[in-house]
Amino acid sequence: MFKEIFLFEIKYRLKRPATWAYFGILFVFGLIVAIGGNGPASEKVFVNSPVAIATMLNTISIFGIMLASAIMGVPVYRDIEHKTENYYFTYPISEKGYISGRFFGSLTTLFLVSLGLHLGLIIGFMIGPYAGYEEPERFTSFNFWYYLQPTIMLYWSNFFFAGCIFFSLVSLTKRVMLAYAGGAILFITYLITLTLTQDIDNKALVSLLDPFGFGTYRNIIEYWTPEEQNSLMVPFKGMLVWNRVLWVGLGLIALLYTLFRFDFQRFLSRSYRTKKRKNLEEDTKGSAIHIGIPEVAKVYSNVLNIKLLFKLAIIEFKNIIRDNFFIAILVAAVLFLFFDAWFGFPIYGTPSLPLTYYMLEVKDFTYIILIFVLIVFMTGEVLHRERNVNYDQIFGSLPIPNGIVYGSKFLALAFVSFLLVNLILISGVFNQVIKGYFNFEFDKYFTDLYLIEFPKYIIFVMLAFCVHSLVSKKFIGHVIAIAIWATLFGLNSFLDVDNNLYLYGYAPGYTVSDINGFGHFGTSLFWFRLYWLTFGAILTLLGFLFWKRGTDSGIKARLQIARGRLKVSTLSSIILLVIIWLGSGAFINHNTKTLNNYRTEKAGTIASADYEKQLSQYYQKAQPKVIDVKVNADLVPEERRATIKVAYKMVNKSDETIDSLHLNWGGPGIFHKKVEDFKIDGKTPVLGKKYEAFGYEIYSLGKSMQPNDTLVMELKVTGMFNGFPNEGSGSDIVYNGTFLNNNFFPSFGYSPESELTSDQDRRKYDLPIKDYQLPPQDDEWGLQNLLFNDDADYVTFEGTVSTAPDQIAIMPGYLQKEWPENGRRYFTYKMEGDLDFFYNISSARYNVHKEVWTGKNGEKVNIEIFHHPTHTYNMDRFVKGVRHSLDYFAENYGPYQYRQMRILEFPRYSTFAQSFPNTVPFAESFGWVGDFSDPEDLDYVYTVTAHEVAHQWWGHQITPSATRGSNQISESMAEYSSLMVMKKEYGVDAMQEFLKEELDNYLRSRANESKFEKTLLDNDNQAYVWYRKGGLILYALQDLVGEKNLNNAFRSYADSAAFRPKAPFTTTKEWYHFIHTATPDSLKYYLEDSFEKITLYSNKTSNATYKQLENGQYEVTIDVQSGKSHFDGNGKLLGSPEQPNVLEIGIFGEDVKNDLGMTVKLPILLEKKWVKPGESSFTYTVDKIPIKAGIDPYNKMIDRIPDDNLIYVEEISE
Amino acid sequence: MELQIKNLNKTYSNGVQALKDVNLTIPQGMFGLLGPNGAGKSSLMRTLATLQQADSGSVTMGDIDILNDKARVREILGYLPQEFGVYPKISSSNMLNHIASLKGVSNKSERKDLVESLLNKTNLWHVRNKSLGTYSGGMKQRFGIAQALIGDPSLIIVDEPTAGLDPAERIRFHNLLSEIGENTIVILSTHIVDDVSNLCSNMAIICLGEVVVKGNPSDLTKGVKGRIWKKGIEKDDLEEYQSEMQVISTHLKAGQTIIHVLSDNRPDSTFEPSKANLEDVYFAEISSRMERITD
Repeated sequence: MFKEIFLFEIKYRLKRPATWAYFGILFVFGLIVAIGGNGPASEKVFVNSPVAIATMLNTISIFGIMLASAIMGVPVYRDIEHKTENYYFTYPISEKGYISGRFFGSLTTLFLVSLGLHLGLIIGFMIGPYAGYEEPERFTSFNFWYYLQPTIMLYWSNFFFAGCIFFSLVSLTKRVMLAYAGGAILFITYLITLTLTQDIDNKALVSLLDPFGFGTYRNIIEYWTPEEQNSLMVPFKGMLVWNRVLWVGLGLIALLYTLFRFDFQRFLSRSYRTKKRKNLEEDTKGSAIHIGIPEVAKVYSNVLNIKLLFKLAIIEFKNIIRDNFFIAILVAAVLFLFFDAWFGFPIYGTPSLPLTYYMLEVKDFTYIILIFVLIVFMTGEVLHRERNVNYDQIFGSLPIPNGIVYGSKFLALAFVSFLLVNLILISGVFNQVIKGYFNFEFDKYFTDLYLIEFPKYIIFVMLAFCVHSLVSKKFIGHVIAIAIWATLFGLNSFLDVDNNLYLYGYAPGYTVSDINGFGHFGTSLFWFRLYWLTFGAILTLLGFLFWKRGTDSGIKARLQIARGRLKVSTLSSIILLVIIWLGSGAFINHNTKTLNNYRTEKAGTIASADYEKQLSQYYQKAQPKVIDVKVNADLVPEERRATIKVAYKMVNKSDETIDSLHLNWGGPGIFHKKVEDFKIDGKTPVLGKKYEAFGYEIYSLGKSMQPNDTLVMELKVTGMFNGFPNEGSGSDIVYNGTFLNNNFFPSFGYSPESELTSDQDRRKYDLPIKDYQLPPQDDEWGLQNLLFNDDADYVTFEGTVSTAPDQIAIMPGYLQKEWPENGRRYFTYKMEGDLDFFYNISSARYNVHKEVWTGKNGEKVNIEIFHHPTHTYNMDRFVKGVRHSLDYFAENYGPYQYRQMRILEFPRYSTFAQSFPNTVPFAESFGWVGDFSDPEDLDYVYTVTAHEVAHQWWGHQITPSATRGSNQISESMAEYSSLMVMKKEYGVDAMQEFLKEELDNYLRSRANESKFEKTLLDNDNQAYVWYRKGGLILYALQDLVGEKNLNNAFRSYADSAAFRPKAPFTTTKEWYHFIHTATPDSLKYYLEDSFEKITLYSNKTSNATYKQLENGQYEVTIDVQSGKSHFDGNGKLLGSPEQPNVLEIGIFGEDVKNDLGMTVKLPILLEKKWVKPGESSFTYTVDKIPIKAGIDPYNKMIDRIPDDNLIYVEEISE
Repeated sequence: MELQIKNLNKTYSNGVQALKDVNLTIPQGMFGLLGPNGAGKSSLMRTLATLQQADSGSVTMGDIDILNDKARVREILGYLPQEFGVYPKISSSNMLNHIASLKGVSNKSERKDLVESLLNKTNLWHVRNKSLGTYSGGMKQRFGIAQALIGDPSLIIVDEPTAGLDPAERIRFHNLLSEIGENTIVILSTHIVDDVSNLCSNMAIICLGEVVVKGNPSDLTKGVKGRIWKKGIEKDDLEEYQSEMQVISTHLKAGQTIIHVLSDNRPDSTFEPSKANLEDVYFAEISSRMERITD
């Protein structure tokens, strides 16, 4: 019996077009991804590497839950839907046979359908190398196991457990909607585990709970290098096993429960589904019939029609908000809204205050996706409302004009949209209240929600309306509408189509800021909204013409109806809308393309390639160097414009004759520059050659410059913004919060910074692969120039700046005077001594907080914090950061070179902090509004301030040469310095948390490396190496050789290299030399491992036990495994040396809180040991009861599994 | 006012020709539209009820062009479709009130009186506040007629209203229909011959999209008077009879098969004359057009 039902199910399914449609979709998807090489593989990973295949299968299985619900939800429901249950169940079949037959038949179908993806991928990967979308080298040979293993382990197991749950839900409740709701719940569970991932301490929890095993899988492979991703399959062990046991087991339990619980009679009884119905009593007297019907007046007028419009709309709106599906999705959406806002916006894991703009931004997280779905589905419901309950014929023949019916439905959706935007407000305010934040800023809420977001939802509604009107089958309408959105999203995300003019509903991004409010984004938003609203209205009217009223769905009849509806008024509205649409489109195009040089990403890549091809001939061409800068800047933030005049005094420091000056303005962008005046030594120079596309100009100098000759270049430039761009914040000059730097002016000569770096791009555009951006440490040119800017060595600086009367403008140096003139506010600054050629000009309505730091030798430094008036929350943290930094660095590295240290706030159009000489700008969202109330959260204001202040030494005093590895001298040293300030403040036992973050970041980043990982001595562009690895290695080094000892070496280095007046400038060779002097010979292996090689440890504590001795002490035995391996830059194993290494062995009590409230370790015993690779055992006797013990407990070494270093100690009884 | 249907044609997109050159003049009073399933009755009615396009032809009622001036048609129309649903969670009185407002009855108190009288008339008063989802088939059907009567329609179209009703309900429904309008055009479609003979003063038989016969039911019955013969036969002999004479219907009576034959003369002495009724007219017309009709 099982067999017949099973086979019937499969045969039935194979005849259904939907089965083949699902198969086809997966097949085509696989084909496209495989041929296009769009899979989840970085440049050095084969597009069909085992990890890439497994990731793809895993990802698709998550979206495949919809497929599972569609296939596994219906087999039992089918009998209800087609009303066959009444006789089908009377056949001599058993419940178990029925259930298991239907289940396994459907499951087999599901598995077969799911193989469409494999087929697509396999064929695609065979075609791929010849198709030309991806380089043939990126494809490896076919391996059956790469598909089979993850299919069973992740892909099918996900389908199985999801299928079991959907099948059971429907079989037990008869409600097919529950299958979809179940799908939504699983997806939400997945998203929640994603949120948990933010904290690396939750890794194990995520690994267990992620219903799709995606997080589990990712936690396993996240540190895998390209080499490993190309050759290894994910092992089925550890957490992955438990995860699968949990979820597959859950599915199995649901299935078994259904199998034993299912009962035909119960299934048939109505009360099971709905409340018991009471049959109404019939009143049989027939006399009532003879009652007359009163005469009534019938009125048809426009006024009444309008009334009717609203009446119908309100009824429709009520219908929508009573819909269970709507409520379910809405509840989920609001929960996301709330929790996204609740957990949202952490920086380094530390939450931010619930500012209004944060509350608003969550609308674009998960909420918007659910809104898409809601709008599409609800539009379908509304347009099919009458048909659904079979009331369409009566309704269709009522004397209500078409426009009123259609209009009322549209209006109802508009009401829904309005409700949806208000939920954002409610959730936001609710969040703020709970968190005790009462600065609600309703003006921001209203502007953003009613003027910007609401029209966007209406635009969504319009498309859905058009689709559902044209397509008379509701389900197909849903599919098409969702497919349109998916296509738009795909075009935008994967095919780099980013012109907002061609993507329905899209508009430039905008950022709300406390400093600059909605800034200048209003104009472009207005035009884009107008453009899409008119287009949407055209679609809506088009939908109106074809909208089905009545029963005729033939094409001919609908065309006929459309012709009938195309009255003069409709036609003229359409024409008017088309005119506005095209007009606004043309205006937008003029703004984005003509005024703001919009180009596609590909065009940008080609331009970079051409730049290099045409101009690299000028690379390293000698140019005079700036030695003195005088600036005269007139900022007009009100109009987003600035006119700045500079006078550069320049010297020919080379030993060649220079006869031309190369001005490199960079290619055309959205910040437009106009040269007002250009003079060299008082004369206007002659333009020799100009590369328009790259903004590269060559002027011949009237008189050639001999070595050591000087000249004065005067340049007056107006910078401004015209119209609005397709994308981009244009944050250089804004109404409040201007942040300009020396890039306002051209640089001199060819700069390789704008070259393409990706190997793949370079090959594609016939450029040689470039392994390094910078020349080697002994390169003559490299030694002659400084890393950050080859246009100058050190300069002297003074200048005057004017700005709006209510703003404060800031430049490098000390304020000389400040005065009002012509309704503007003027400031003159002058720097004492030298600075590297790196300055900024800022202006905003600031409040200033001032303090003074006094050093050990009585030297005084003014600490000035320029901040937005309301952003006073974390002022003390900035000040503390500066103070502690100055304390530590002045003592250990040498004196601070200036008498002031300024911290500036700038708007949140980007999130970073940067160190200029004596000035550190911090973005608005970076620290100023952080919520540091929990001492366990990282106080990144403090640590980043320390890092940036450290750059005043490492970068601005010791400014390295333009050679490989130089970034380590500024960034690794700053990171190390920051860690040392933290260590001093928090105590050494609190450091493990921070070190582990650095380690995690380093390991994850190197796994995604698209070229090859570089060593500390040679690295020229890998931030994760110079920050994360650099910080860790130097921290561990001071731990090995002694903090004071190492700092003394750094101090000697600083003495030798700071403000070096002449080339050759310092390199990593010199730096490394000083590090060597602090390191005894026995530990030199560590330097070699860390600075010259890529070395990873695999330390692990396998066993730790203790027993109490008779004297009350405890004897602790620790069994450890240690390993150390060298790898090449691609992650290929080079060897595992057998020599012992110095590693820490520790025994700890229970963690305690320090004075600041942070959880810290409580060491009972800590000892450095020479540990040989392999297994070792250590025994200690300690006084206190041991809780945990292990090897390298503070994660000082680079170890891929840091969590198994320290384990709980178990007591063994005698 | 008469309803004039001229040369009406309709072919569906799947190729089925639902209406073939239909010509009908429908006077005021009850008009019966008789025909087998799939004859085109519903197509014709939906076309009159503005729910469907015609390919060609014209339909007028007074100065109203029914096919093109849909808005005006809807103002004078009362329509009860063959199958219809209701919003299950709303009460009949609320729903009728809502429909009345949609039909242009804008005065609130007038609307209230109207709804009340309709509820009384259709015998739904006692359940007026119950939600429609709880109604029995008969109640639902009466609700259907109540909504069709709103707004004093001068054209009422009811499509197979008695299908699925029990005999008592059917009688009640007939009474209701006969109450309305001498001054209105009521078009009733059905495949139950008795409905038409009981209620209608005019009728048409429609088969395979064509009007095959039209006129007054009793006149039509007269046309076959004296030409209908019946005989009880063995079931196995049916085929033989069918090949020899025009057997218009067969039915069972007490286990015996009775055939009706249309013939100007008595086929042979074993046949008895049968009293002609509308049913014989109906079967006579369609038996020649369709395959065997078995009752």
